[in-house]
Amino acid sequence: MSSTPLKRSIDQTVTEPIRPLRLVLVDDYPERAEVLERALTASGHQIIARFGSGADLRSEVMRIAPDVIIIDVDSADRDILEGMHAINREHPRPVVMFTRDGDPALIRTAVRAGVSAYVVGGLDPERVLPVMNVAIAHFEQFQALQRELEEARTALAERKLIDRAKGILMKQRHMDEEAAYSAMRKMAMDRNLKLVELARSLIAAADLLA
Amino acid sequence: MPDDNTSDQTPPRTRATVTPLRPRPLSSMRVSGSDAPEKREVSVGFIPLTDCASVAVAVAMGFDRKHGLILRPRREASWAAVRDKLASGAIDAAHSLYGLIYGVQLGICGPRHDMAILMTLNQNGQAITFAGHLRDVGVTDATTLSQYMDSRRDELVFAHTFPTGTHAMWLYYWLAAHGIHPLRDVQTITVPPPQMVTQMRHAAIDGYSVGEPWNAQAVYERVGFTVATSQQVWPDHPEKVLATTHEFVRQYPNTARALVMTLLEASRYIDDPAHHETVARIVSARAYVNVDLALVAARLRGDYEDGRGRCWRDPHALRFHAGGSVNYPYLSDGMWFMSQHRRWGLLQQDPDYFAVARHVNQIGLYAEAAGAVGVPVPPAPLRSSTLIDGRVWDGSNPAEYARSFAIQAAPAPAHGKNVLS
Repeated sequence: MSSTPLKRSIDQTVTEPIRPLRLVLVDDYPERAEVLERALTASGHQIIARFGSGADLRSEVMRIAPDVIIIDVDSADRDILEGMHAINREHPRPVVMFTRDGDPALIRTAVRAGVSAYVVGGLDPERVLPVMNVAIAHFEQFQALQRELEEARTALAERKLIDRAKGILMKQRHMDEEAAYSAMRKMAMDRNLKLVELARSLIAAADLLA
Repeated sequence: MPDDNTSDQTPPRTRATVTPLRPRPLSSMRVSGSDAPEKREVSVGFIPLTDCASVAVAVAMGFDRKHGLILRPRREASWAAVRDKLASGAIDAAHSLYGLIYGVQLGICGPRHDMAILMTLNQNGQAITFAGHLRDVGVTDATTLSQYMDSRRDELVFAHTFPTGTHAMWLYYWLAAHGIHPLRDVQTITVPPPQMVTQMRHAAIDGYSVGEPWNAQAVYERVGFTVATSQQVWPDHPEKVLATTHEFVRQYPNTARALVMTLLEASRYIDDPAHHETVARIVSARAYVNVDLALVAARLRGDYEDGRGRCWRDPHALRFHAGGSVNYPYLSDGMWFMSQHRRWGLLQQDPDYFAVARHVNQIGLYAEAAGAVGVPVPPAPLRSSTLIDGRVWDGSNPAEYARSFAIQAAPAPAHGKNVLS
């Protein structure tokens, strides 16, 4: 196990573990998994495997017997893990969901952040909590980045639509750019529409007439 | 036909009985003031399966807007995600396995949470598929399966979709009805529905129990054959439900009622044979199941081909409405799942079957919604069915029923010690 004393704000909730937990990460976003792996390793845990979807998760989990599996809430493979804590005589250390008897607020936070965890039976929940907190923090951070990216994309797409609608007005009504823009703003205000919605209907109308 | 029994009695009577001809004055049952949905936008989770049709059709045909709602369908990747998102409020309602909701209510498949079943979405239309290699060694039914198992040293591996779910229960019941112990004689695992065919092709599983179109797909791709349909196990069995949390119903009763009205109208639309083509197109589209139209269409119509040359028109095929008899959340249906959870040791003790079913299945709210859209409500919240082993289930004595099966999980030891380990 390689442990570097890299403690940042995100790791402050982490207390020193008694023995490193053996963790498995299941995530289809390698960039997110990598960052999380670094953070968990830094707080003294051992990442024994990382999978994307499509791995034979059931066999792998039985083979490497991790203490905790951290998995994307939206991974289809979760149901495979669900089955592993059902009555199963050949698997005496069943996997149970971390949140089985857990605090509903924590579940909510984890689900919103997009992360869930499965824990091998008998492991003290107290020991898993810090791991969960690190995972939640990283998933949240990743989500915020995704959202920003998405917003930037939407803004760009909307600006393109508005520009196109403006172009149509300029051509149809022989307006200059500024006049076209203020005409659109007035129409949007009069109809109680967002500028982009108005742009959409102007484009649709123009397409219909073309 | 339902009589107008309005007395507030203990079972087996419903409180409110509504017929389209003689609607009860609904205003008396409602919150004073407006009936308008408190929350207009409702996110509804679904798993890509043919029987998510009512959600898809409700949106595509605009039944939601008709009842003042805007449905936001959310495709989910696993039943675990459906459970967690329902419980945490990340989605408002979901197309869900009957047994999953009871599992959550009882805390036997993850954290316990107070759940509500608003209506049944469909009956029938699931199946058990066996791998082609079993057909090659002469396995065509449970009897030949049993003989084949005796000749093998290693166990066969069968997959279902969720530990407390419906497909596990159909598989277990079918095997046990033929003398095969599902927990001892075979190995059972969970596999996400869209992965079933691939896993079978890679010989990771010998059989599976799942919803359509994943059984039809195995036949179509010549990977396996349909050995039994779920309607053979229990003709007109309950399958998926429209589920939410108790909290949601309490907070948004008008929304919950409008949601049932919306899905009842969608269900009625789907069951009209004239609409089957349209429904198949909507459901097989990319936003929902994302498969070939043909995979969905045949079994939606009830046209079966089992992959061994047998074709038939199934009298108990997937159905969504049947004049409302599909949709009523029978308390006996809910209790059946608990009886099977008990039978297979998922429940270590008998719950208060009737009280739990009464708490989860929202029969009062359902009756109001059904009355408002002219759908008749059955006269009693219990129904009687005969299952594949000839046993009758009518909702009476669930604890005794659960105990009465020759094949079941080992009973829990009296001193409460863990039976495993």
